[in-house]
Amino acid sequence: MTEESKSIAEPREDKPIIEISHVWKFFGPLAALQDVSVNVQPKERVVIIGPSGSGKSTLLRSINRLESIDKGSISILGQDISHCREHELNRLRRNVGMVFQQFNLFPHKTVLQNLTMAPRTLLGMSKVDAEARALQLLQKVGISDKATVYPSMLSGGQQQRVAIARALAMQPTIMLFDEPTSALDPEMVGEVLDVMVSLAEEGMTMCCVTHEMGFAKMVADRIIFMDHGQILEQGPPERMFSSPRHPRLKQFLEQIL
Amino acid sequence: MPDESEKHVEKESQGNIILVTEGPLIPKPWSKRLISAWSISLCGAIFTLMFLCWMWPEPYLDVLTFLPDGILVTFEVTALAICCAVPMGLITGLGRISRNSFINLTASTYVEIIRGIPLLVQIFYIYYALSKFLQVSSLTSAVVAISFCYGAYMGEVFRAGIMAIPRGQTEAARSLGFNRFQTMFYVILPQAWRTILPPVGNECIAMLKDTSLVSVMAMPDLMQRGRSFAAKTYLYFETYTIVALVYLIITLLLSKCVAIMESRLNYYDRRK
Repeated sequence: MTEESKSIAEPREDKPIIEISHVWKFFGPLAALQDVSVNVQPKERVVIIGPSGSGKSTLLRSINRLESIDKGSISILGQDISHCREHELNRLRRNVGMVFQQFNLFPHKTVLQNLTMAPRTLLGMSKVDAEARALQLLQKVGISDKATVYPSMLSGGQQQRVAIARALAMQPTIMLFDEPTSALDPEMVGEVLDVMVSLAEEGMTMCCVTHEMGFAKMVADRIIFMDHGQILEQGPPERMFSSPRHPRLKQFLEQIL
Repeated sequence: MPDESEKHVEKESQGNIILVTEGPLIPKPWSKRLISAWSISLCGAIFTLMFLCWMWPEPYLDVLTFLPDGILVTFEVTALAICCAVPMGLITGLGRISRNSFINLTASTYVEIIRGIPLLVQIFYIYYALSKFLQVSSLTSAVVAISFCYGAYMGEVFRAGIMAIPRGQTEAARSLGFNRFQTMFYVILPQAWRTILPPVGNECIAMLKDTSLVSVMAMPDLMQRGRSFAAKTYLYFETYTIVALVYLIITLLLSKCVAIMESRLNYYDRRK
């Protein structure tokens, strides 16, 4: 641990790393989240599924406060993120990597610069160190040969792998994935999922919103099913997929499987 | 021989296919036609100027040799005004998108007021009306008036350029831990600059033309030099023909510079 910020953020096995309690979120009159409570343990891999508009992305985005909440509280690493000050929030966000549906790579920076920008600016890493780590991460996601190109020259799958590497460059304790494969051409889904699986095997705490049920079955410790801003059912993937209890989940699984 | 020509056709048709798939037919920089509105205007202006000076050096060449001091003053005012107006535009643009309602309101009010008053009136106001309270040199008042005026217009350009960057960029930067300021200066502005530069360049060219208004303060700029020459000699037609041609040539050259800068800023969008 080269940086101090990590010391405040060491996860402990006994305490949940993400605590979401009684969260409400409104978009106008629409309640996007209704009294949602979930805890995530360190190294746990949670997959959130549900029909579109069910609030799963909103829930994920509220974990690092890209979406503010109206009621309730969310804590990560033991610190309340929903009411903390701006600079504390920025500090906490370093521990939470996020991968978006639309990749959101910085188009004006090369792949390598995309990975080194945040560690150099925010963690004060030297250029040499940051680049060494970036190349290591690029190797891990299998695109070390593309370090010097701009994102517009990469395929969607490659861009998403760079996005994952960029999030990992901050050495986060938690990774959030917001439908990471939904914007990809079908033949590129596999390469991104492979990276995510290997990340899961390393013991990263992961929260993932996805429609990839195969991935969910393989990786998840727990599946959360949401609809209309509520958690309707949760449990281990085997049980959830083989014997769903809630009629809405049964219907949802019938539709997609 | 026939083999070669066939190859050529094939190449060309390949080129066409690429152009179709890439969307609008944008000419490559090297294949730009020689005959364009820009080159016609520039060559025409230079040719006319040279022709007039060569045919009737008596009034025309005299006017032309009388003007260079004025050109320098025009450039001086323009350069100083650009240096002040661009930062002002940036600050105004940032103010206009600020979440702080006081800053937002201040910036918006500034834009509304300035946009509602003609530049000529602003120049008179700062130079003559305010002289009741404080004396400012004509250069200072010219630069202040022009940069205040153009700062407001550029503020809108900056605001639009910043707003055009997809929200995902901000979210990605914030999720990494960048604060608002860092997000703006490391992620948003470097990208927004591409959309901002062409209109800002046009504003700068418009600014150069509008510096002719400072001649009302008897500043010896290009316009004022022309006026004083015409007043001495009563050769209005000849004088203002030359003044117009000189302005035209300067403006055309500047617009070319903007176009070149613009293409340079597109570096990261070039696909293989």
